[in-house]
Amino acid sequence: MMWKLVVYKEWLKIRWFLVGYTLLGILGVGYLLLTVKHDFAFSGGKNIWNSILFLGNQFFSPLKYVSLAGGLIIAIAQYFPETVNKRIKLSFHLPLGENKVLLMMHTFGAVSLLLSFVIIFGLFSGFCLIYFPVQMVIYSLITILPWVLAGFSAYFLGALIILEPHWMFRFYYSLVGGFFLTIFFVPAVTSAYSPANSGLFVLTAILSIALLFSAYRFRKGEM
Amino acid sequence: MNNVIECNNLTHYYGKKKVFENLNFQVSKGSILGLLGKNGTGKTTTINILNGFLQPRSGECLIFGENTQHLSPQTKSRIGFLIEGHIQYSFMNIRQIERFYSGFYPNWKPAPFWELMSKLDVTHTQKISTMSCGQRSQVALGLILAQDPDLLILDDFSMGLDPGYRRLFIDYLREYAKSENKTIFTTSHIVQDMERLIDDLLIIDYKGVLAQASVFQFMDSFKRFDFELENDKADMKNASFVVNLDKMKNKVELYTYSSESIVKKYLDDNNIKASNFAQVKMVLEDAFIGLTGKY
Repeated sequence: MMWKLVVYKEWLKIRWFLVGYTLLGILGVGYLLLTVKHDFAFSGGKNIWNSILFLGNQFFSPLKYVSLAGGLIIAIAQYFPETVNKRIKLSFHLPLGENKVLLMMHTFGAVSLLLSFVIIFGLFSGFCLIYFPVQMVIYSLITILPWVLAGFSAYFLGALIILEPHWMFRFYYSLVGGFFLTIFFVPAVTSAYSPANSGLFVLTAILSIALLFSAYRFRKGEM
Repeated sequence: MNNVIECNNLTHYYGKKKVFENLNFQVSKGSILGLLGKNGTGKTTTINILNGFLQPRSGECLIFGENTQHLSPQTKSRIGFLIEGHIQYSFMNIRQIERFYSGFYPNWKPAPFWELMSKLDVTHTQKISTMSCGQRSQVALGLILAQDPDLLILDDFSMGLDPGYRRLFIDYLREYAKSENKTIFTTSHIVQDMERLIDDLLIIDYKGVLAQASVFQFMDSFKRFDFELENDKADMKNASFVVNLDKMKNKVELYTYSSESIVKKYLDDNNIKASNFAQVKMVLEDAFIGLTGKY
């Protein structure tokens, strides 16, 4: 059960970052819902309804970069310690295939991120159902989905960049990665992203194994 | 198969800078081999190739008969690896790190690890990042001993250690290797440490392998003669037996594999007048500097 040991190591690295991030996310959702409650109390339901339906107001827009931040935080917490003194050599020396151990680490990071997003956005959905009809909550989640995918993409790109042994490549990856992430944040009306979500999902899935390339370059001695 | 490590025609360049060319060496089972060389001669490069962290330009290294570029998990479990600077997972404490590694190795023996830890003034919940360099070295050593590998690869094990920890490290390691018939391949920039630890040596420089022999053979055959020249302009550098020659005014330090009689005959034949001729007893560090030069 070597995967349990890899999970143990990764958990020790990211646990406080993951817990801290999730708590901040929950606080963010709480603040957002307090704002909605405040607006309902002071502006009245009709005005809120009008601004959302006819003026295109996205009351959940403060959540736009929450998942992006989460992806970057977990990527840094998980992979930066591996680059200090080239400590990744220790992981590659474990009696497992090098790619296998990396994919175990990566899967753990992605699943941790997923759990955190489920808690944050699950809470958001639950609270929203108190104030809004189901259909509106579903549209909101469809709009939020690219932002969540951006969080995963940021995590995968972060791993690729952090593990890359050559600073020049890091710089290029950062430029391309930054540009790539903007695709997830193009302003659009609520749920307009619906047709694109499957494509974004595929792109994110492809990115999930990008770190293997950096690891390959490291093992070939690029520096 | 008597050779645990076998490197054949190893050549590597960083860009256009040659590190070594056609390097060949073997490490036989049960021996402790020290790789010695000045800074930049390729010691860490060799270690990286051995661990599969660097692909050589050409040539290959085999460990237990497997190419080091594609070591199987089974073979990796037979190799204990100490990274330069005794690097370990510093975010773990010693209880966590023992628990982590113990699950990977079927022959895990916790006793040597905890015995070493009991010598340190640390608690079981103290993070490795808060330990001194010497304490970290003992953690790294304890983990390798507990892993009970057949081959230990140690990259500059003395780096950052004070004399006490270096001695502790060497004595523990040698005792362990000899009693358990383990093979060790190691580098260190402190040659006097190597003398206490190793059986065989491999000395490399920018030109290639300068010496590969047992420490005893090398120290027995490599000699230093000191003498004073009457005429300090006399030139001996081109003599075939001269490995290295250090001249300060008329005082000469001559390093050679040849005997005293051959050196004296050369001086006589070439009418070079010398006085105070004496063979100087050397320790390994002297011999290393004599072979590789001071610069």
